[in-house]
Amino acid sequence: MDERNVRARSASLSPAAGVISPSETVAKLIDVSSCIGCKACEVACQEWNDLPPAETRPSFGSYQTLPDLEPNFWQVIKFNEVERDSRFFWNMTKYQCMHCVDPGCLRACPAPGAIVQLKNGIVGFVYENCIGCGFCITGCPFDVPRLSPSTGKVYKCTLCSDRVSAGLEPACIKACPTNCLHFGTKEQLVRIATTRVNELKMDGYESAAIYDPEGVGGAQVFYVLPNGEQPEEYGLPRDPAISLAVLLWKQPLKWLGGLLMAGGVLAAFTHYLRFGRKDVEINELSQRERAEPVDES
Amino acid sequence: MSREERIQRFSFAERIMHWIVGLTFVYVMLSGLALFSPHLYWLAYLLGGGTTIVRWHPIVGLLFFIALIWMFATWLRDMKIDREDVDWIKRVGQYIRHHEGDLPDAGRFNAGQKGLFWVQGVTGVLLVASGIPLWFPHHFPQWSRLVSILVHEIAALAAIGAFIVHIYMGTAVVRGSLSAMITGTVSAAWARFHHPRWYRKVESEKVSE
Repeated sequence: MDERNVRARSASLSPAAGVISPSETVAKLIDVSSCIGCKACEVACQEWNDLPPAETRPSFGSYQTLPDLEPNFWQVIKFNEVERDSRFFWNMTKYQCMHCVDPGCLRACPAPGAIVQLKNGIVGFVYENCIGCGFCITGCPFDVPRLSPSTGKVYKCTLCSDRVSAGLEPACIKACPTNCLHFGTKEQLVRIATTRVNELKMDGYESAAIYDPEGVGGAQVFYVLPNGEQPEEYGLPRDPAISLAVLLWKQPLKWLGGLLMAGGVLAAFTHYLRFGRKDVEINELSQRERAEPVDES
Repeated sequence: MSREERIQRFSFAERIMHWIVGLTFVYVMLSGLALFSPHLYWLAYLLGGGTTIVRWHPIVGLLFFIALIWMFATWLRDMKIDREDVDWIKRVGQYIRHHEGDLPDAGRFNAGQKGLFWVQGVTGVLLVASGIPLWFPHHFPQWSRLVSILVHEIAALAAIGAFIVHIYMGTAVVRGSLSAMITGTVSAAWARFHHPRWYRKVESEKVSE
């Protein structure tokens, strides 16, 4: 990978090489209101990324392909069944990596350069650097990365960074027959999303809204939700954010810990310079001089 | 009594036990520190690479914990904190300045050693309990892993702090303790000076034999 295309790099002591030149970010908009749950995007994703079709599972009470994301299944249309005002809603919602502006996975990753954020905003895993510790799974507020037991590496949607770098749109977007998936710059897509939200409001979906969580600095993948007040109805977390635990772990605890360890070693060394070792012979002598009984024998 | 006289301080089994605990601790400490900070990631290369340490850290950690249980079974009786220990802790400043004269006589282990034992015990339990969710992230809820990350790191730092003091005392300050943990014996003078109560007990047992 060309490091000049990298905006942020996990566990690295210096800024990524691409920081010197800004560039536009790409984004994916998912308009839930026009998704028909055809799963063409799932098929396109499996096909483009050369992932084997997942094994058929025993029935788990849903029309969705698999219950959840898997190491070789990077996006799933969740068939959320919701009852609201005694009406039934079948909220088909595409779910995959959100490509956060402030990625929790990248913050949590301890392996230098195993997770990178490209200048175009795509968050990617670099397999030669991934050590399979799984911290990214804990750092992700969306529960997206999946550790493969067979390879010991973590997998997720790449936003087809290979296609995007060649000027193509991601496979899922190419396959979508209803145009509920859009690809472009974030700015363009926000305009489209705003128009769509207004349309939905006029259609009677008064709580229609854009889902672009601020807790992760916004995301390259964002949604138009007909009922934006209840993201849970779409299988999306309400107010996802970088966890306080991750922030504490990666900032103050690192400094405190380093200070403690370096301080401990320095204190020991200073103690030795000042007081030296405990000398049994000298101490025995001085104790005898003070005529104190050394022992009772 | 001759100054050359050697007293048995640690049995062969105790020494094996101690070194299993010690060496496994050093491995989990170094491999853990590699992931603690990017400044220390070079330790991963030293230990065979990131993938290798990720695989072995939890396994060696379990070995450490099993050996720690063995240690508890062996030393718990000698590690009970008594009244002299409380008094000793209160005057730890004198111990630090090598004024042992006014300190209460230590038994087989002094209050500092007992402190290390209990710190390692408590942090050992915390480290294993918090390590398992991090080992199998897909089998535990996220909140438990987030708590675990903090617990694991704080417990590890406490254990490393105690470890630094232990290594410094055992090798630099109290000469003869490292060899005691290798050969199993100490000189009578060493025993009388560092662990008078224990020395008297050993001697009285000798007489009664």
